[in-house]
Amino acid sequence: MFHQRPARSVLLGLLVLATSACAGTIDRRVDPDSPDEVGGAVLQSQDIRTMAQNMARDLASSGLLTSTANNQTVTFHIIGMENQSSDVINREIIITKLETELFKALGGGRIRVLDRSAVGLDAVKREREAKRSGAVAGNEGKRGNVLGSDYVLYGVIRDRVQQGGKLKSAYYDVTFTLTDLETDQKVWQNDYETKFLSEKSVISR
Amino acid sequence: MLRPMFTFGCTLVLAACAVHMPAVPMHRFLDGDLDAVAAAMRNEQANGSAENSALVLNILAQCELFLGDAEAAWRDFGAAGRIMGNWQTSGGEAAGAIVGSESSKTWKGDPYEKAMNAFYLGLAFLWRGEPDNARASLKHGILADAEVGDEKFQADNPLLFWLAGRMSTLMGKGDDADDFFKEARTANTFAMQHGSRGDASGAVLGRPDDGNLVLLVECGIAPAKVAHGDLDELARFESRWHPADRARITLDGRVLGETVVLADLDYQARTLGGTEMEGIRKGKAVFKKASLIGGVALLNIASRDRGDSARTNAIVGGGLILLGLLTSTAADVRHWPTLPATVQALTTNVTPGAHLLEIEFLDVAGRAVPELHQTWPIDVPAASQTYYLFRSLPGLDRQAAARAATVGTGRTEVHP
Repeated sequence: MFHQRPARSVLLGLLVLATSACAGTIDRRVDPDSPDEVGGAVLQSQDIRTMAQNMARDLASSGLLTSTANNQTVTFHIIGMENQSSDVINREIIITKLETELFKALGGGRIRVLDRSAVGLDAVKREREAKRSGAVAGNEGKRGNVLGSDYVLYGVIRDRVQQGGKLKSAYYDVTFTLTDLETDQKVWQNDYETKFLSEKSVISR
Repeated sequence: MLRPMFTFGCTLVLAACAVHMPAVPMHRFLDGDLDAVAAAMRNEQANGSAENSALVLNILAQCELFLGDAEAAWRDFGAAGRIMGNWQTSGGEAAGAIVGSESSKTWKGDPYEKAMNAFYLGLAFLWRGEPDNARASLKHGILADAEVGDEKFQADNPLLFWLAGRMSTLMGKGDDADDFFKEARTANTFAMQHGSRGDASGAVLGRPDDGNLVLLVECGIAPAKVAHGDLDELARFESRWHPADRARITLDGRVLGETVVLADLDYQARTLGGTEMEGIRKGKAVFKKASLIGGVALLNIASRDRGDSARTNAIVGGGLILLGLLTSTAADVRHWPTLPATVQALTTNVTPGAHLLEIEFLDVAGRAVPELHQTWPIDVPAASQTYYLFRSLPGLDRQAAARAATVGTGRTEVHP
């Protein structure tokens, strides 16, 4: 039997549910190391942080950038990254994070990271010219040559994506290599790997 | 009997937040008034449904691109692409789309729309001097194109393969480039065998790496997605007429030739294949018809009956009619309406320096369409490649010239 009071309650419930189904936006702060709920089967904040920390730790423990025969400070620069994957990525975020982690792991006084970017080199060149010509004042005590680099660090992002039916897998391999710029010898290499498996929903379009 | 029916009804109402196509002023777009379209899309972005975000961002980015703001276009195509490329869907959203209105879901686009997002984003990366990310985007588009239901049509977009090949060359990866060019020719042959327009003469794909000036020209307007069937349960594509069929290019008064089709969006949309949702909608249509017929029959019986039996039949019949009316069978016909019908190309080798480029858009019979005629001053650098993208919309050259006079040139070109 369908009574009036339950019917009213059900209708009221329907109204509340209908209203709550069209709820607004919710923002909340999350740990960058936690898995990304948004998904997307692409390199996420967790991967970038882990990758940078692992590489910096491994490079620091190798001793390559801190020990030289005549106790000189080692100089090196990061040439950048090449993205060979099928996922567009802001390479700067990986490079900058890695540089920060290297500074933390090695200490700013023990190594010198050079800015070999086109923008950086151009700024140095213009400023030095302005100082030498007297157009701007310069600190005589700081006069010197542009430092040469002992090593160069570069990275490559590669992937292997497979797609079949409702499934897709994406394997990422990010490799970092340190090359001695005197001998052209690869003196250190390490990589970061991760893999995603995605299953397509019926409403993936 | 009544309570389960009401629970089901409750679920239907829960999932009933249908999202409609954003209001795109198409007549303004076709008149070349892209500032008005961009303003409408910014308004949609601020006040419209979040589920349409990727669609709105794509249209906005297209306007930004043709208005000369390649940086804004890069940002917005990128944001749209991240939504479109994400397979992840919440259980609630999937249930809502299945039980309630299909158009309650987040719009992610059909494979050909994902491929076009990847094409534009690839160009935007190239214009930023990042050929590797440009290639990544194009490869992403190739994978998205492979998401069509019919396996036969899973790798048939010559444009993406060809551009991925050229990006590989810019990256210094000749072997990769050769593989992509081979795939481009295979895709072109296959697509043409199945009714697509393509590069029949090999003008571009026959010498895919040639030319320091690459002209990409978008002609016409892409098909519209419309609902068919008794209860609008079927999604179908309808071609839209536009006078521009192809383009004839003149450089410094010398005719270079006509552009060739490398992506035919009418063909791409037509060969999408079926989806699981189409089967679900057909099932819902059968349920809806049965509920309405059953409900009417029970009400008819109730009207000729008396007592408890009549009341029960009336309530059940009314409930069935209510369920039938609440069941949404309509297909989600949201689509990217400002895409072109075809993307065409012409490559050539020109001496570095300033040149005057004229684009005559031709109709099917080969007659020029005067109102679409465009003249562009271009600059080709030494030892590099230049990529331009044009569209068969009136007055874009005059708008760009007026803009350049006030804010400086911001035309889309690359010198990687």
